[in-house]
Amino acid sequence: MAGSLFGLLLLIVVLSLALSDNFRTEDEARSLLSSASLSGLLMLILGVVAGAGEYRHGTIASTLLVTPDRLRAVAAQTLAVAAAGLAVGLATAALVAAIGVPWLSAKDAPMLSTGELLGMFIGCALYTALAAALGVALGALMRNQVAAVVLVLVFLFVIDPVITAVAEGYAKFSLTGLGTSMSGGSAEDVQGSDLLPFGVAALIWAAYTVALAVAASVLTTRRDI
Amino acid sequence: MLEVRDLTKRFGTTVAVDGLSFKATPGRVLGFLGPNGAGKTTTLRTLLGLTLPTSGSATVEGRSYRELQDPVTVVGAVLEGPQFHPGRSGRNHLRVMAAAAGLPAGRVDEMLRLVELDGAGARRVKGYSLGMRQRLSLAGALLGDPRALVLDEPANGLDPQGIRWLRDFLRREAGEGRTVLISSHVLAEVAQTVDEVVVVTHGRLVAQGSLNDLTHGAESPVWVRSPDAERLRAALAAKDGVEAEPGEVPGWLAVRGASLETVGTTAAEQGIPVFELYRPRQSPESVFFELTSGAEAAP
Repeated sequence: MAGSLFGLLLLIVVLSLALSDNFRTEDEARSLLSSASLSGLLMLILGVVAGAGEYRHGTIASTLLVTPDRLRAVAAQTLAVAAAGLAVGLATAALVAAIGVPWLSAKDAPMLSTGELLGMFIGCALYTALAAALGVALGALMRNQVAAVVLVLVFLFVIDPVITAVAEGYAKFSLTGLGTSMSGGSAEDVQGSDLLPFGVAALIWAAYTVALAVAASVLTTRRDI
Repeated sequence: MLEVRDLTKRFGTTVAVDGLSFKATPGRVLGFLGPNGAGKTTTLRTLLGLTLPTSGSATVEGRSYRELQDPVTVVGAVLEGPQFHPGRSGRNHLRVMAAAAGLPAGRVDEMLRLVELDGAGARRVKGYSLGMRQRLSLAGALLGDPRALVLDEPANGLDPQGIRWLRDFLRREAGEGRTVLISSHVLAEVAQTVDEVVVVTHGRLVAQGSLNDLTHGAESPVWVRSPDAERLRAALAAKDGVEAEPGEVPGWLAVRGASLETVGTTAAEQGIPVFELYRPRQSPESVFFELTSGAEAAP
């Protein structure tokens, strides 16, 4: 799975660099480099698969027998998958940087400062970690693996864009908007809407995660396994 | 000590467990018997905090499972149904449990050896047979060296050697002072393992006691055939707590409240000839079948 992510990213970065000479603005360079945030989408779905997978395979029983405290069990799993997300995010950012930065400078594209680049890649890794955490919490809440994955995809690609189109000012609060802000993408990636600062976006995303995780643990406490 | 008290569990309008009470005590193996759908699994899962009671309680050493501080050292459980990720190895499954419980990883290999899975520990669970999965589950139950074992149909999928191994193993565990609660819908699987049984149907207790008690219950009289049945009847009925009634076939008496020895001795004292004397011994199977099918007829 991680292998196919790296392959896909390689394809995106290499193709955009090879086919386009239009890297005239910083935003365009930024947009390319932030494609590393694709790992966020992947880890979001992997998180859902991990969270709901406990129910699909019945491992939730041994999890709760060893750790009867539901909140602790959900929190531990969320943190564990978030840590995996961080690792995947760092690896992705490193890969994109290794290919994108030298190539962009060879094309004489306007370059971001080292500090900016570093911030962007760390942001991308953090975003991937947070996305993974959100996925786990949602999976633990919904329990049905297929339904949870479908819900995430429908939300990301149908519901979120529809609300963004209808409600003015929602774009920066949408999952896509928050993700773009965290991974340092350009405003162009979310239809020109302005983005929230990194810290605020991360906090809002983390709040969603905590809300879902708490809901999951409360429900797990009250229902039969 | 495992205790179920007035336990009732409803799923919607279905009553799975209906006012059930029993205790499993240290050093003994308690068989929890009943046909499929009798509420055994629900009761055991309630004991383990996985299912919440509608009313009543199920406690482990006086507390509900969820309140236990270090549950793996208190109760080990083998549950029914899928409980492994098919892509993980048996050893990996146990290592995750051990890590979560704060147990050393060395304990995992020890348990794999104990259940004779050390050769297969590195293989993915998806390639395991049903019997291997049961043994892996048992290894997980034993990880924390618990004081009690709760086993839901552990003999399922075991071959005859496996069942014998499990029997010897559970006897040894009980011998070391552990509490063992084992459910089954096949009496023969556990008949030689258990000290006592609790029999349930439709979530209700129908019998409790040792297998001996069940098969030699008061409902099974001593039958005696004599040419002087009436005199023998009078002689037996004169004794305290003994009832003797003529059977349907002339010459036969059904005697309750007396042993074979008492009936024989009484006849000899009175100089009454006896042609036949026996107590029909019910097989545990037939008793179990009667107990559970009798209740099945009730709504």
